[in-house]
Formats: sequence, C-alpha cells, structure tokens
Amino acid sequence: MTRFLIVDDSSTMRRIIINTLNKLGFDQTVEAANGREGIERLEADAADVVITDWNMPEMSGLEFLRQIRAQDRTRDLPVLMVTTNAAKDDIVEALRAGVSNYVVKPFTTDTFKEKIDAVLGKPTP
Amino acid sequence: MTSVKDPVLSHLLASSREVLEAMIGRSVTFSLPIEGEALRPRSNVVGTSAFTGSIGGGLVAFYTTLETAKVLTATMLGIPATTDDEVIDAIGEITNMIAGALRTKMAADGDLWAVSIPTVTVGSDFYTKCVRDVRRVLCPLKIDEHELFIELIVASQSKAA
Repeated sequence: MTRFLIVDDSSTMRRIIINTLNKLGFDQTVEAANGREGIERLEADAADVVITDWNMPEMSGLEFLRQIRAQDRTRDLPVLMVTTNAAKDDIVEALRAGVSNYVVKPFTTDTFKEKIDAVLGKPTP
Repeated sequence: MTSVKDPVLSHLLASSREVLEAMIGRSVTFSLPIEGEALRPRSNVVGTSAFTGSIGGGLVAFYTTLETAKVLTATMLGIPATTDDEVIDAIGEITNMIAGALRTKMAADGDLWAVSIPTVTVGSDFYTKCVRDVRRVLCPLKIDEHELFIELIVASQSKAA
C-alpha cells in the first residue's frame, strides 16, 4: 500500500489532504508540520510519496525538497507540492528544485487524483 | 457603495469566490462592496494577510462570526470542529488561500506581490483601526444564511489600487 508523508503547518490542510487521499483509496499517511519534521519522519519511516506545502515555519517546503533531492536514499522520491504559490516564477523555482508535480490550492478531488496518478505513474482505482 | 471595476478588487472577489466555493462546496453570493471607514462588521474571528506590490502595501481581511467559522471549519474538515485551534487554523487557511489566489491573479497581470503568512484574531468587542491613511473596501458575501465579509485595505499613497 502506498504510504504518504504529508507536510504542512496547517492541521486543516493536512486533514483535507488526508480526507482526499482516503476518498482515492489511500489510508497510509504520516504527518509533519514543517520541513524539519518532514526530514525526521523520512529518517524514521519510509514513505512512497511526499506531499508538501511551500510556506512553512522552521524549514520551507522548497528547502525540504532540496534536502530530499540531496540525499541518496530519497533522491528519487516523488514529491508533490500543494501550495497557493501559483505564479509562473514560483512553479519554475519549484521545478528547478526538483518537484515531481504541483497542485494549486484550492484543489478538487479530481485535480488531486490526476496529480497523484502522475507521480505514481499509474491511475488510482 | 463602490463598483467592482477596480482590478485588484475584482481579482479579490474572484479569488474569494474560487476559494470558498471549492473549500465549502456551496455557491457564494456577493453584495456591492462598501468603501470607507463607516461600517465594520461585528465579527469574532478575523483572518488577515498582508501584501506588498507595485500598488504599495496593504491587507486582505476575512471576517466571520465564531458560529459561522465553526460551520466553515466543519465543512472543510468533514467532521465537527472540536477546538478553537481547529477553527483558527481553518480560518487562517481560508485567508491564506484567498490572499494566495489574489497574488496569482496579480502575477498574471505582471505584478508579482509578496504575501505574508496569515494572522487570525479571535475575540469580541474589538475593531481594527489603521494608523495611517488607507483605502478600505468591504465586500459582504453570503454562503447559505451565513454572512461573511472580505476587506481590501490599501495604503493611501498607492490609491491606484
């Protein structure tokens, strides 16, 4: 079963993302409130996909993403960024940092499914 | 009353509609915006996000009562909100998404803003007073029977907004 690490400082957004994943048939989730906690979770538990916010205290999603890409163990981990930062310059910056795909808040379940399918490389049921 | 021809105001209303309808799953009805200091809504929960851009600095504010905030939170979470922290976090996230969507629309017009993380004030018998001359436009809206307000506050040196 695919295991997701959800990194967002907003408990509301984490709940919304978990609810959306549940609707798509995924129930294996781990949570973290910022990039630093996300790194700790990845060191302690394996995750198949990371879903991260951009703007967070202590360590931003972009810095978190750069650290994931800098580690041999997590270099190829699919990372989906879920953020309000949707200007063209933002997306270019995230792609340069190595993001696998990008979801702009607010999102629908259908949009989220498309992005999850894309990062997993297969359609969800 | 004021018109909605102002591009920033127009983008703010469109952003608010997009966010609220996506997150709450109900249609939003706007009334005509009200310009000036005279009328301030009686609200218990106010989310604010500051911005800077070519028009200068300002704030986006989202006003609601605690009762309505709990309804919005429960709808977003899919379960009843049990703590004030959940309500505060949800209103902060709505404010964050509205300010973020406004920033995206301004960027598409060629004006890349910086937007702050949101702040949420909860309480009663308080009001906000800007210490410098600003332009304030209050936008009433309704979701079902719930009345809410979005406000655009722009520093007066940048009245082009």
